[in-house]
Amino acid sequence: MNKKASPVSLIMDYAGAYKGKYICSMILAIISVVCGMVPYFAVAKMVTAMIGHEDKGLSYFAAWCAAAAVGYIAKGIFSSISTSISHTATFFTMKQIRQKLIAKLTKMPMGTILESPSGYYKDVIVDRVEGIEVPLAHLLPEMTANVLAPVLMLIYLLTLDWRLALISLITIPVGMAVMSTTMKSYGKNYGKSVEISGRMTNAIVEYMGGIEVIKAFSQSENSYEKYETAVNDNAAFFYNWMKSAQWAMSAYNAITPSVLLTVLPFGILFYASGSLMAGAFVTVIVLSLGLLEPLIAAMNYTDNIARVGTVMGQINEVLASPEIERTNKVSSVNGSRIEFKNVTFSYDGEKEALSNIDLTIPEGKVTALVGHSGSGKSTVAKLVAGFWDVSDGELFMGGQNIHDIPLEVQTERIAYVEQNNFLFNETVMENIRKGKAGATDEDVINAAKAAGCDEFIRGLDKGYQTVVGSAGGHLSGGERQRIAIARAMLKDAPIVILDEATAYIDPENEAVIQSALAKLVQGKTVIVIAHRLSTITDADNIIVMENGTVSAHGTHETLLKNSELYRDMWAAHTGTKGGAA
Amino acid sequence: MIGAFKKIWDFAGSEQKNIKSSIVLALLNSVFYALQFAAVYVVLRSLTSGDTSKINALYALGIMVVSIAGRIILNTYSQLQRVHAGYFMVANKRISIGNKLRSVPMGYFNKNNLGQMTAITTTTLTDVENTAPVVLVTVLGGFINSVVFALSVLLFDWRIGIIVFIGMAAFLWTTSLQEKHSRKGAPERQRAQEMLVEKILEAVQGISVIKSFRLTERSESAADSAIEESCKKNLFIEKQMTPYQIFQQIVLNLFAVIIMIATAALYLNGSMELSNAMMMFVAAFMVFEQMKSAGISIATLRIAESSIDKANETDNVPVMDEGGRDIIPANFDIAFENVDFSYGERKILDRVSFDIKQKTTTAIVGPSGSGKTTMCSLIARFWDVKGGKVTIGGNDVRDFTLDSLMKNISMVFQNVYLFSDTVENNIKFGCPNATHEQVVEAAKKACCHDFIMQLPDGYNTVLEEGGASLSGGERQRLSIARAILKDAPIIILDEATANVDPENEDRLQSAIEALMEDKTIIMIAHRLKTVRRADQILVLDGGHIVQRGTHSELAKQDGIYSRFISQREQAENWHITGQTT
Repeated sequence: MNKKASPVSLIMDYAGAYKGKYICSMILAIISVVCGMVPYFAVAKMVTAMIGHEDKGLSYFAAWCAAAAVGYIAKGIFSSISTSISHTATFFTMKQIRQKLIAKLTKMPMGTILESPSGYYKDVIVDRVEGIEVPLAHLLPEMTANVLAPVLMLIYLLTLDWRLALISLITIPVGMAVMSTTMKSYGKNYGKSVEISGRMTNAIVEYMGGIEVIKAFSQSENSYEKYETAVNDNAAFFYNWMKSAQWAMSAYNAITPSVLLTVLPFGILFYASGSLMAGAFVTVIVLSLGLLEPLIAAMNYTDNIARVGTVMGQINEVLASPEIERTNKVSSVNGSRIEFKNVTFSYDGEKEALSNIDLTIPEGKVTALVGHSGSGKSTVAKLVAGFWDVSDGELFMGGQNIHDIPLEVQTERIAYVEQNNFLFNETVMENIRKGKAGATDEDVINAAKAAGCDEFIRGLDKGYQTVVGSAGGHLSGGERQRIAIARAMLKDAPIVILDEATAYIDPENEAVIQSALAKLVQGKTVIVIAHRLSTITDADNIIVMENGTVSAHGTHETLLKNSELYRDMWAAHTGTKGGAA
Repeated sequence: MIGAFKKIWDFAGSEQKNIKSSIVLALLNSVFYALQFAAVYVVLRSLTSGDTSKINALYALGIMVVSIAGRIILNTYSQLQRVHAGYFMVANKRISIGNKLRSVPMGYFNKNNLGQMTAITTTTLTDVENTAPVVLVTVLGGFINSVVFALSVLLFDWRIGIIVFIGMAAFLWTTSLQEKHSRKGAPERQRAQEMLVEKILEAVQGISVIKSFRLTERSESAADSAIEESCKKNLFIEKQMTPYQIFQQIVLNLFAVIIMIATAALYLNGSMELSNAMMMFVAAFMVFEQMKSAGISIATLRIAESSIDKANETDNVPVMDEGGRDIIPANFDIAFENVDFSYGERKILDRVSFDIKQKTTTAIVGPSGSGKTTMCSLIARFWDVKGGKVTIGGNDVRDFTLDSLMKNISMVFQNVYLFSDTVENNIKFGCPNATHEQVVEAAKKACCHDFIMQLPDGYNTVLEEGGASLSGGERQRLSIARAILKDAPIIILDEATANVDPENEDRLQSAIEALMEDKTIIMIAHRLKTVRRADQILVLDGGHIVQRGTHSELAKQDGIYSRFISQREQAENWHITGQTT
């Protein structure tokens, strides 16, 4: 958690645009507090009149009651409007934070986003931001009201009888002193509770995540026992903790607001000694009843401030994360030749995924990247596709340094096909149409035919108008794959990257996918990462990667002669390969 | 509202008695709270009668001390009962969910279901733990307290008492009005919120598509408009609710004013004593306090209700009848006799019959959606058949207990879940009594030994949950080592799901071959080599077995199988080239 700036200043960064609204809300809150005090004065007046036998008529009481009613009504209206305004400002603030976060996403390296669990950013943008609504909307007006009201009353009490006013505050330190007895062990217990509930969460996650394995290996009895124990331990711990601490909390809650404990006896003593008038005394009793509840409520808001602070820390962490460095100048690229000059790249700033790479991917040819996992071949493809920026060295596309090309221009030149291609929860038609702005239905259908998916699309419930479900969930992996190929075909980008695009995603339809890919790559600059070496034996150039460097390159035949690594890989491949090899 | 109470009450189950006693204690607590009025009464009486004896100070102090002490004790126990109810009713629910999972059909589990179940068991239930009993005791206790309070006012002066009751009724009416109204807007807001989640998830997961197709430039981003919409809906609801909030805030206060004016009138016409009248003025401020806080908590009640609804969704999970016996089958012949199976309305298998002799290999081949996976999972009783039966060694799989059935079967590729435990314990998960030597032997056979020895602590290296620190292929082979050690006589596997890591296919193949030695094997086959070697090939199409025999028999026939063979040959020998072919 990043806690450099104070939560309040962080909020003001975003809420600042709506400062006017928040100030307005606070002013209304203050007015409502003042109005809310009118009834207390009214009662004080009436009680004083009664006890002093002032012999006032009903009209006097009616007038004060009317004043009290007006006070209450004004209080209700002003405080509701105040809350409503601060809610409005908060909703705008939330919107602004969310839009800022979304805008940030487009500036971050795609790789950073794609490699985080997808729930993470959704969690920050939706849930975390949602979490500040209530505290932020209620914080300013209610905190103001709850602090201001008792302070104003206390001031008034001081003018009535300063001794009694001060005496009325005694219960606060007493209550706190009692509370503090449990604070000593609080830290220890809190730490323990985090540990125990963490253990329970882990036990639940493991039990559920592993349930298939647990059942498949006949271990349900043992695992269930472990789960049950963790769950019961958690409940028992919290209960026992409360058992040791509850009395102090109850005492705190009972003692602190009980101003009457001191006000009544001392009042009587002062009254008996003649230094306090009956009217003033009753007024003090009435006012002190309304004194402490709001103060306690205000104290609870410190919790809210801390919560908003935590959320703001998380939001700022995202907003402060590194961005991809590109020019904003509109420019175009001619040619698709790709060149790596002395390129070094690291995902984490420590371990180099690529070290001082030099390589050229010629225009209009098929270049294959091979190597064991972790050799850097995927990293090469991802740098070309603009998922990340190179850490060191230079990358050229069409002779231009990649830093001088806007990311959009770069990605527009590339069709990136991988195993798992993302589809939007829209119709098949719209998903394919995303490949090219303004494509007609006919263009879309032609692309689908070329990608070999026209037939299965027509077989869907509503044909091309079928909605594919969230992330394409209503379709099989192979179907998604083919729609993504159709989309890429419509895009007709000069550079095609196939990242394990032919792996066993849908063995039944592998041949269809392959022929679709064959059409997609015709006449293009092709970069292919393929697990099955036999797929790429005809490539114009094969680059063999090892530990982040280029170990060898050449055609299949030359590599078989010159590269031991390639020979080994080929042997391993043909040794297990089924079929007619 | 009553519905929500009932839900919480039903959910509490065996903890109901603790909730009950918590409420009773809370009630007694409020009696001690009301005792403060006795202290005030003592004071008022002495003031109105002009009694200046200092003994009254002692009385007032004494009553206040009793009031506070009583509240500390009663509140402590009331809270403890409540805490116990909260934590233990949730613990019970967690345990019952865990217990239920043991008899849920394995086929039910998928990433989505399990993720949801885990989220409910951890997060949602934690919300219930913290809100449900608190809100029940506050709201229910608050209402009961208010009634008790009102009754005592009624005894004190029946005319004022009636006003108090009318005030409460009016408050309940505005509350229900507000609740009804807020419910009207809720579904729309909910929809906007769901849209927000979906569009933001799309913006995150589809970032590469959005960028490479320049979708942000073409139209306003879908995420931005979803954010806008969510903000609008919130504002709309806020605007709609404001008048009701004002109304709700004011209504009780106005009745307090009515009490005052009535008191004044009664006092003036001589039908109420001075001390009683003053008492009523004081009471006017306090009598509705409990009602107000109960009213505020109703919002929380709604949150608790929806959390409980969500937790209760787990009740709808299907369960299998598990009244089986521990059976040790005499042999491992597998037979399907007229097996029918359907998912909902969709028929998957239609009167399928076949035999598998023990220690033979059966390959299942067929187009996607033909029922291959279902057929395999029926053997391990992932689902129950809808008609006919599946037998192992002549025993219906439904006669086994799940544990005694699964002892005979290794399902290798369904889930490669690894526990956050040492590598060694992960391998011997299925047979906790295996020696280190046996573990190493299994690891060697599964081609895991080398990479295990490279881990920081070798076999004692603790894996991250889910095995995230290992590559896909390494996880896969570890799970095979686990299966080799388990040494079950029947192996079920799917070659496609097996192939998570295409790069190390050779090592994976030798691991699988080690596992298959001397076993009864049924596999969904994709590789030609596997199919050729099978003792029996079952060709499935549209829920029927359309061809059966050995490779040499089937290859001669014209049919799905020969088409499958030629497609596989084509796919396995595919080359990628940039030229038109």
